[in-house]
Amino acid sequence: MSAVPTDISAWRNPPWLREFAAEESQAWIFVLKSLIAFYLAAWITMVFQLEQPSTTMVTVSIVMHPQSGTVLAKSFYRALGTCTGSLVGVLLIAAFPQQRELFLLSMSLWVALCAGGAVLYRNFMSYGFVLAGYTAFIVVLPAIDHPTAVFDSAVSRVSEVMLGIIVAGLVSDVVLPVRLRQVLRRISREHYKHFIDFARGSLGGAIPRAEMEGIHLRFVRAAVQIEDLRSSVIFEDPEARARSSRMQLLNLRYMAAATSFQSLHHLINRLQRNNHPRTAAALIKLYAPVGEALSPDPSEEPIPRLLATRLEACEPKLAPLAAELREDLRQDPELLLEFDSGTTLIRRFAAELRDFTSLEATLRETQGVLGRSVERVDFKRANDYAAPLIAIVRTFFTMATLSIFWVETGWPFGLSALLLATVFSGLLASSPSPLAATANTWFAYLAGLIAAFFVLFRLMPGSDGFVMLILVSAPLLALGPYLTTRAVTLPGVGAGYSLGFAYILALKNPMVYSPERFLNDSIAALLGLMASGAAFMIIPTVIGTQWLRRRQLVQLRRQVVFAATAPMDGILYRFESVNRDLYHQIVQFTRQGSEESHVLFSWALAVHDSGRAIIELRQDMAHADLPPPLLESMQRAVDALARLYDEPDKVRWQAADEAVDHAIVLTTQTLPQSRASCQPALADLLQLRTALRDDDSALTPYIVKAPETGHAA
Amino acid sequence: MPREVALADALVPGLLLIYLGCLLVLWVIDTIIGRYGLYRYVWHPSLFRVAMFFVLFGAAGLILYP
Repeated sequence: MSAVPTDISAWRNPPWLREFAAEESQAWIFVLKSLIAFYLAAWITMVFQLEQPSTTMVTVSIVMHPQSGTVLAKSFYRALGTCTGSLVGVLLIAAFPQQRELFLLSMSLWVALCAGGAVLYRNFMSYGFVLAGYTAFIVVLPAIDHPTAVFDSAVSRVSEVMLGIIVAGLVSDVVLPVRLRQVLRRISREHYKHFIDFARGSLGGAIPRAEMEGIHLRFVRAAVQIEDLRSSVIFEDPEARARSSRMQLLNLRYMAAATSFQSLHHLINRLQRNNHPRTAAALIKLYAPVGEALSPDPSEEPIPRLLATRLEACEPKLAPLAAELREDLRQDPELLLEFDSGTTLIRRFAAELRDFTSLEATLRETQGVLGRSVERVDFKRANDYAAPLIAIVRTFFTMATLSIFWVETGWPFGLSALLLATVFSGLLASSPSPLAATANTWFAYLAGLIAAFFVLFRLMPGSDGFVMLILVSAPLLALGPYLTTRAVTLPGVGAGYSLGFAYILALKNPMVYSPERFLNDSIAALLGLMASGAAFMIIPTVIGTQWLRRRQLVQLRRQVVFAATAPMDGILYRFESVNRDLYHQIVQFTRQGSEESHVLFSWALAVHDSGRAIIELRQDMAHADLPPPLLESMQRAVDALARLYDEPDKVRWQAADEAVDHAIVLTTQTLPQSRASCQPALADLLQLRTALRDDDSALTPYIVKAPETGHAA
Repeated sequence: MPREVALADALVPGLLLIYLGCLLVLWVIDTIIGRYGLYRYVWHPSLFRVAMFFVLFGAAGLILYP
């Protein structure tokens, strides 16, 4: 008997049902918000007696998006796009009122540029570009046969689009908002905890490479994700805006500490692999105080402030311990040099970890405004211009083809086809599988049209008043936003359905029922959509293709060149952030555990390692007063490494190896005279040589095994 | 306040200018409140912000166009 009640409760409330309910409630909240936005927008447009409530509704269906959180502030970019688009539309009409060829040519060019912009700026700015193309078109649309009316048309279209943007933003901001700030806080704390746990426990034993790959991926994701969220949250919350520069600095420190830790780990791994377990063990022993500092008594709350003070206390202990451990080692100069470079890495890591935890502590302890300003750092994105360029070319050809077709056939609804092609080439250009998305969108659009037909010619003629309008159209309209929340499994379906529904419903006050316009417009819209799909077939997208990945890998490799040649001001953050962003972009499209992902990972490690060491070396060269011949040889080493990473081959590897070796020899000779200035530079050079000669790195194919006697001779 | 204002020879409703001015004022107030972390005392910050805008815009509109 006792088992029965538990059985029932488990049956009544199983985990999958709870999960399902949570997901569904999110989806229905979004549906509710979308419907409110749709009808509020339509109602306000009618109250203000603007011409086309349907434009407002179409705008709402373009900008409403479940993942975007609060969009009120992002509307800024959208409003900017709308204004620019309308201005361009008016200008084009003014410039070519009688020249349809020139006009259509420049219009196609404008729309193509907007699509390119939407691809280039992958964040919330991309919608602004889509709207810039869209608005330019709808401003021109009614005025194409009477150019003198373009100004009035522009004013009312801009009002309608703006109204749509504002209503969509307001509704998602006020009605049951998703607070990105909470998400950011939760995620950044999770990452912080993961990193500290990892730093505490993992240096004792070696981590297998496959696992290290996963960990690296996680570090990279964390950095990119936090930056993405931060750049959205500052729009939502003025308090976050005031703390934004500190959050960026925190992310920098996080990335710097992660890089140092990985370099250190790599070094120890290599020592163990090459049968130098004693040196490796000595380094692990040296790391022990850091691990201890990270694991306070369980009785004490492990808040960041405590960890920061503990780390600070442990730092002075490291130098004497290192000296002590150094005494015990076999007095082989090569191994001692390895140990020294490991020591420097550990001390650097401890210092970076202290900075990181103390900043995290400051951010957690204070609220609102923080005192003095901090160093300004900017998360740089790695933009590749190939994808946007291809989008521009593709969109231009789509638009040009449709325009020619329209002009040649004198088809009265050609503009509808052009309009749809405009919207979807912008919206779908940044999708990794645009063909499938276009096909989905096309069928969904068709479904939207059929639903709208039913509503428009069956239900609406018998209804009266705005409440009745809502009652007859809401159930079928609600399908669109609901499908939008299923964007992962059904990409493009929701957008197509709502857009098709809202567009063809062509709400007006008073309503006009015209079946022949409905059919003509539907056919034109479907044809426009098909044209943009055909364009994706003819000029395929490069996003996610092998070609672009290879290109991005080269770009990642050249980050070392950047580290070696770029001006020093703020170089570290630019280097670290672009690295992560690139890695993140490539890894999205590589299968985990595949050969390609191993290659990518080993390049990423090599680039992180050497690039960071080069930056440190350049900093030492700028600050410490080294004798000129030494500086010269170091500069030669940096240049040789830059050449190697620019285009790796055996000759360049040899040149780089020799240059670094030469610099190390010279530095070791000067070491007794000026220990303070030479020691850190020497450590960096050693790290560079370690990375170069590593037989398990991306550079392995280029390594030339120099005979040992060659050096002696 | 005139009902329509000529901006570069384009007639713009005066209310639009007031609207933009109110947005500016709202932005300033919003920044100040955010800077000192006062939104912690507000239940629904964005609703508060919208309401504040309505109050500003309503007051300005009613005062200038009685």
